[in-house]
Amino acid sequence: MAMKKKRYALVVDSRKCINCKACAVACKAENEVPVGRFRNWINEARQGEYPKLRIDFEPEQCHHCEHPSCARVCPTGATWVRKDGIVLVDYDDCIGCRYCMVACPYEARYFHEESGTVHKCTLCSHRIDGGELPACVATCPSKVRVFGDLEDSSSRIHELLATRRYRLKEPQTGNGPQLYYLL
Amino acid sequence: MGTLRMDRRLFLQAAGVTAGVAATTQVGCLKYFRKGRTVSNDDRQVPTTCELCPNKCSAIAVVEGGIVRKLNPNPENPKSRDMLCARGNAAIKQVYDPDRIKHPMIRVGARGEGKWKKATWDEAFDFAAQKLAAVKAKYGPEASLWSSTEGFQEVFFKNLGLAFGSPNLVRHPTLCLASVNLAYSATFGTVPSFDLLNSKYVIMSGANRFESIITPDTMDLIGGVMERKAKLVYLDPRFTVTAAKADEWYPIKPGTDLAFILAMLHVIIKENRHSHEFVAASTIGFDLLTEHVKQYTPEWAEQETEIPAKDIIRIAREFSDAAPRAVYYAGRRSSWYQNDFQMRRAQAILNAIVGNWDQQGGMVPNAKLPKGEFLFMPWDEPKAARVDEIEKHFPLAAKGDGVYLKLRENVLSGKPYPVKAWMVYKQDPMNAMPDQAKTLKMIEGMDFIGVIDVQMSDMAWYADVVFPESAYLERTDPVEVMAGIWPAVVYRQQVVKPIHDTKPNLEIVQGLAKRLGLSDYFDYTIEQWVEAEFKELPIPMAMEHMKKHGVWAASGQPSYGKTLNPDHRFVTKTGKIELFSERLKEAGYDPLPVYEAPTQPPGDRFRLILGRVGYFTHANQSNNVWLNEFMKENDLWINPKPAERLGIRHGSYVAVTSSVGTVRIKVRVTEEIRPDCVFMLHGFGKKAKMQSLVYNVGASDAALLETAWDKVSGNAAFHETFVKVANA
Repeated sequence: MAMKKKRYALVVDSRKCINCKACAVACKAENEVPVGRFRNWINEARQGEYPKLRIDFEPEQCHHCEHPSCARVCPTGATWVRKDGIVLVDYDDCIGCRYCMVACPYEARYFHEESGTVHKCTLCSHRIDGGELPACVATCPSKVRVFGDLEDSSSRIHELLATRRYRLKEPQTGNGPQLYYLL
Repeated sequence: MGTLRMDRRLFLQAAGVTAGVAATTQVGCLKYFRKGRTVSNDDRQVPTTCELCPNKCSAIAVVEGGIVRKLNPNPENPKSRDMLCARGNAAIKQVYDPDRIKHPMIRVGARGEGKWKKATWDEAFDFAAQKLAAVKAKYGPEASLWSSTEGFQEVFFKNLGLAFGSPNLVRHPTLCLASVNLAYSATFGTVPSFDLLNSKYVIMSGANRFESIITPDTMDLIGGVMERKAKLVYLDPRFTVTAAKADEWYPIKPGTDLAFILAMLHVIIKENRHSHEFVAASTIGFDLLTEHVKQYTPEWAEQETEIPAKDIIRIAREFSDAAPRAVYYAGRRSSWYQNDFQMRRAQAILNAIVGNWDQQGGMVPNAKLPKGEFLFMPWDEPKAARVDEIEKHFPLAAKGDGVYLKLRENVLSGKPYPVKAWMVYKQDPMNAMPDQAKTLKMIEGMDFIGVIDVQMSDMAWYADVVFPESAYLERTDPVEVMAGIWPAVVYRQQVVKPIHDTKPNLEIVQGLAKRLGLSDYFDYTIEQWVEAEFKELPIPMAMEHMKKHGVWAASGQPSYGKTLNPDHRFVTKTGKIELFSERLKEAGYDPLPVYEAPTQPPGDRFRLILGRVGYFTHANQSNNVWLNEFMKENDLWINPKPAERLGIRHGSYVAVTSSVGTVRIKVRVTEEIRPDCVFMLHGFGKKAKMQSLVYNVGASDAALLETAWDKVSGNAAFHETFVKVANA
């Protein structure tokens, strides 16, 4: 049976984010992220003068780029792109040189002291493979992130990207980021 | 794939990477995940109910190798709306916290000194029972105080206090939302829910719903506001996350919300925008209300609130146009002022006259579900009157909950009678009550203090004996029925066995009861208790269902309008919704809300205001390692204008002084607060060394807050403290 090509991605509706940190803690538990490190986080932009004020929250993590610079610079090929577009690190092959941390435009990677390897968001590939949503997507009170297959024209993210305006961060790097921020 | 791997290996060799490095990279993921943990084949998924705050969200615990590895949201709970917040996710760290109380502890040094001896349960029970019996023998059972917050096992603790013979049970509401509850009860005879999922227009006074998470309100509101189904008008001296998300934010002058509401009433009645039909059919006292609010013009309110009169008029019009899908949201929020009850009453009245009662998108009386009760042996009612003299001072307040601050005053004065023993379950009066110095004085006066808690709270730190309760993931608890628009039943079942020498509260209560000669009243197991509750649930195969799912939701859509039939009697004196309250009048209170301007801080002082963030519950969880990461230390928010005037720099430390205390705290100079207020978050500056992340880090607001309460409900008034700020 010919498998249909998949391209997993996240659409982020930042306006719904209330900075509650549920995504960050869910990720921490799911992926055993050490204290002091994060695979996802929330950017805050505060502006204005009292009483004309504005706060914007923007959840972020690995953008699972189409042409990831982290993979290009990896000397051992430990960072690789799965057929469904998820960028992963093979811990057996990672030598902890950290070139990828420098190469990532989003600072989405961290060095895991205990294992001597570099870690980052896996889009919870293990959960996806078991038919579950990524932990950050599932736990969110306001369902800021929408997970889905861009190749599936009936998916919610396909519909959102077809009908809403969105932006990508640092597209000029040529990395082809796949974290879509709705405007 | 295989050849690719071969290529990598070849690369490694070619690059001269040593075998040693290659070996360390072989450390498999699973291996380090398991390190230092019990390895077993105990892999399960167990539905249970979160206890990190009072929302009771349904969670599914993932157990791997006998360890709780993850908590996932359970989509079957209609109230938690398929989510688990940061706290819920971090509950794992409540279990595996190195700071946990791992066995019973008996104090050996001075109170609060932190010198303990490890005790067996028998020693701890014997010690406590002997002390309690001594107090009872000398002063009578009423000389014991039993304080608790809430929780599925709270019932056992309260029952022990009652069986012991004490009338002095004191619970959290008067440090929380007693004024809201009493105001809505006085008006509607019940406290309704707010149907934010379907509201078109929502006004909130300081109920910072996006940082103080209440299910399902927080999620429903964010959906409504973000999908442009609802408009949110938000009043708060501070630019909170809710303010940031609101359509309109007004940094109202603190303490003047009542003026805003009265002016809205004025506009709506003057312009004949109220629901004539509903007012005539279901309410009483509209004519008196009409007369009463004539004085409260929008122009007058502008002077009080600093909200332009034209905006008050427009908001009143928009609100009444959107009715009945419009709410002035009460929600949960601590009381602020000594006139708090009347402010909440005015909200209730405003909601009533536009006819949003029992309507989709309006206020909805809670639907309830039946639950069985375990029949235990009853005890004699305690003979003495309550030490807080609630009947005399707060005749309308909830007797079973008591009035916390008045109680402390009376205990300190020794009148009407001495109180010498203090038992505490799952509560931290040291941080929950204003004026920590006074609480410490109360502690000093006790012959005995016993605390039951999962963690070493500051209260536990000052106790004579600490009984460690098992964390919720280690316990099976009584069944909880959650009344609401979407009523549900939730069940908390043991996920893993206790990892330390801890017990569930029932067993702690039984251990004490046995030694106090009260065993007959507690002669049951949690399983028997739960079984009795299951029996009358409207659920087929209730026990099997609850064990498998952890939650049961009454199916179908919410039913609106059951109380709208003309024969319906509200549980009020007149059987109507009481805009004018004869009962309040008889009790000596204003039968209609009368505005009293709050005192404003003198020139060199600021009003200290309180609030929350979404990842801590009250003073709890700042010591949870996964949550502490988001805020390691609290700070004092101050507007740049006064900061400049006082020469205070962002990031420096200041001394904050009220009439009852001084704290040292870091400064956050921010535009996000009114220039006449300062703000600090709850839950820092802990005294207990066993809260190692927040021990002596930041400051406790309880050390600064002065004793003040709402006149009708007795609810602590948390925004009545003025402070001086100076470089430290």
